[in-house]
Amino acid sequence: MNGAMLEIDGLVRQFEDVRAVDDVSFSVDRGQVLGFIGHNGAGKTTTMRILATLDTPQQGDAWIGGHSVVDAPERVRRIIGFMPDYAGVYMNTTVAEYLDFFARAHDLRGAARRKAVNGVIDFMGIDDLRDRQVEGLSKGLKQRVALGRAIIHDPQVLILDEPAANLDPRARIEFRTLIRELAHDGKTILLSSHILTELTEMCDTVAVIEKGRILATGTVAEILTRLRRKRMLAVRIADGADRLERFLLEQPGVVNVHDVNGRLHFELDGGDDEQVALVARLVAAGFPLLEFAAHRAGLEDLFIELTEGPPQ
Amino acid sequence: MSRANALLDWLEDKSDWLSPIVVKEVRQTVRGREFHYSFGASLVVALGVAFYGAAAAQASEGTTGAGTFTALMVCLTLIGMLVVPIGAFSALRTERLEQTLDLVTVTALSPRRVILGKLMAQAVKLVTLFAALAPFMTMSFLLGGIDFVTIVISLAVLFLWSLWAASVFLFLSTLLKSRAMSGVVFGAAGIAMFLMLTLGRYAFTPWRVFGGPGLSRADFWWTLAMLMTGCVVTMVNFVLLAESRLAVPTQNTVTPLRIGFLAQFLLVVAWAFSFITETSVARSNAAEGLAVLGGLHLAIVALFAVTDDLAVPRRVLADMRRGSRWDWLLFFFRPGAGRGAAYVLVQMALLVLVASVLDTTRDIEDVRWRLTICAYICFFTGVPVYLWRRLRPNRGTPLHLRVVVLLLLAAAVVLPDVLYYVVGQPEVFDLEFGRRHLMNPFRVLSYWPGVEQRGWLFVPALFGAAGLVAYAGLMQMGRLRPAAERIPEGAVALD
Repeated sequence: MNGAMLEIDGLVRQFEDVRAVDDVSFSVDRGQVLGFIGHNGAGKTTTMRILATLDTPQQGDAWIGGHSVVDAPERVRRIIGFMPDYAGVYMNTTVAEYLDFFARAHDLRGAARRKAVNGVIDFMGIDDLRDRQVEGLSKGLKQRVALGRAIIHDPQVLILDEPAANLDPRARIEFRTLIRELAHDGKTILLSSHILTELTEMCDTVAVIEKGRILATGTVAEILTRLRRKRMLAVRIADGADRLERFLLEQPGVVNVHDVNGRLHFELDGGDDEQVALVARLVAAGFPLLEFAAHRAGLEDLFIELTEGPPQ
Repeated sequence: MSRANALLDWLEDKSDWLSPIVVKEVRQTVRGREFHYSFGASLVVALGVAFYGAAAAQASEGTTGAGTFTALMVCLTLIGMLVVPIGAFSALRTERLEQTLDLVTVTALSPRRVILGKLMAQAVKLVTLFAALAPFMTMSFLLGGIDFVTIVISLAVLFLWSLWAASVFLFLSTLLKSRAMSGVVFGAAGIAMFLMLTLGRYAFTPWRVFGGPGLSRADFWWTLAMLMTGCVVTMVNFVLLAESRLAVPTQNTVTPLRIGFLAQFLLVVAWAFSFITETSVARSNAAEGLAVLGGLHLAIVALFAVTDDLAVPRRVLADMRRGSRWDWLLFFFRPGAGRGAAYVLVQMALLVLVASVLDTTRDIEDVRWRLTICAYICFFTGVPVYLWRRLRPNRGTPLHLRVVVLLLLAAAVVLPDVLYYVVGQPEVFDLEFGRRHLMNPFRVLSYWPGVEQRGWLFVPALFGAAGLVAYAGLMQMGRLRPAAERIPEGAVALD
């Protein structure tokens, strides 16, 4: 298990002729936040439902806190909090009653139950909603209450499917802060989202899934390093862009030079030494250098590169 | 803290003893319009009935309590057998449609606790509605013509049967997930319940039975006990069926179901056995009743047990391997079509044995008739399933197999006559029992003396033999294999 809090090994789930999850394997360490990225229908929700013990794989297994989701789902349920991509609220129920019900459902009794409900209400900052009907809340507030429901029994692992969907920008920032706080408290978090820029800020690692198969796992930088042997660089000079383009194309290891808004972008096949040497040659050649920068690739670049299509 | 708050806190602490589902449902119910309407309407109707009863008592010299009580019981029956079961259906259906059931599933609540919680919530609703009508019931007693014991028994019987109806509707709500189809099931169940109420209204007026001719006091209590036991056992089985629909596939829901349905079968056997001290004719009739009721029960059980998956979930297999001193007994109750076949055969043996002990006439024709019931069950459930498993081992879910079995039975019932009239085109429209009907179990069993007289006995015997071979084949296919072969990497292992 390598100390991983969540470990998936060769999960397969087939619906009729569709292989929704195909030999999926990855792991998440304790206190880590893993972003699960993929197109609609890529297999994210199916994988998460299996981890939440709501579905059963035809092959493979997953262990959460050392318990198999197939063989010991009851134990798994005690240490996970699951938030699906819908709010799941009850009619004629106040926020406090809603949280109270889930606290009871997790076998919290008496003072422990009241403490859990009050603790979650404080943590989520929803004290003023306590006596409001949960079905009458806005989508963003429902999401907030739903996250509260998922953490009511203080689970060690959180499985959050599209938790930031439906949230306005302010609510997203608050939500991101909550996630980081939960991770800081030692919770292991697996979350999927379509908003890739947000995942970059929330997640320690990512797993990219496409057509049921995991394409890559690790930190964004690690995956990009694996994917790209060439560095992406950009240079801007005060004058003589045409001469610079010819100069760059003559340099060893430089390919794919192109102009982007007055900057020349190019790829360099090599490491730090080759990059230092190239800068030295540029200066020696007398180019009036204004900028020389490495292009920092983000999660969106990674996703597009891996899946060869825009994120949805 | 005020005394009121302290009391509320105390009550809230005590509510920990209740199922979380009950607490939630009751909170929702008291705010829901449905409950307010049914509560208000029943109060208004009961008030009207009570006034009418009182006015009639003033005007006439006789007692009007019995009439008032009957009218109130009709009102309560409508609530108990329609309003409350519909509430149960809608409670679980809404949870499924709104997907809140998934959220409950990932808590510490097991599917059984969820179903029992839903049922208990309906019980609380029933108690509230019954309590609301209690003053009017008391009034009917005071008006005379009805005794206290009858009132209490009637209410208890109605309460239990209302819970039974709620359990049926809870099970029905687990059958289909789509909004449209569950609506169809709901409508069909509602119509069925309405017909049941219309046709079986006398079943809910036990005081008629109590004073009825030919039924002694002891017989009444015995019949009541049997009915109530049957009600409880079938209610438990409906709860178990609903549980099996909500549970994940790796959970062993088969063992409790098989135990539950065995209890139901044993209840039928016990009913028949209660005639052991009666006259020879009564015992013979009881043996016949046992064969028919037990046979029907076994046919339904076999349809599910024999078509069960041969594969057993890995988790269940691991549980089975742990071993216990009850292993020998649990063998028949554990999942897998092979064990399912053995489970049905053992009950068939019991049915034939008890019926033979009961029937003192020792008529060989009756014995063969009872064996034929078992033969047809074996044939129609065993042969298609065995052939399917042999010819297409990797295809066919239990549902597919059940449909195949039912289609085959329907074809056996209809096809002989269709072929006879369409293909043969006889000049005379003849519904006489003939050789062509030997495929049809219902006609064979109805015209059994004819089968014996015409020397066609060998056909049911052949069916029985084929069925037994198929059952033995299924048991062989589902036999225990060495551990290494039995646990592949996935969640499912071959049985």
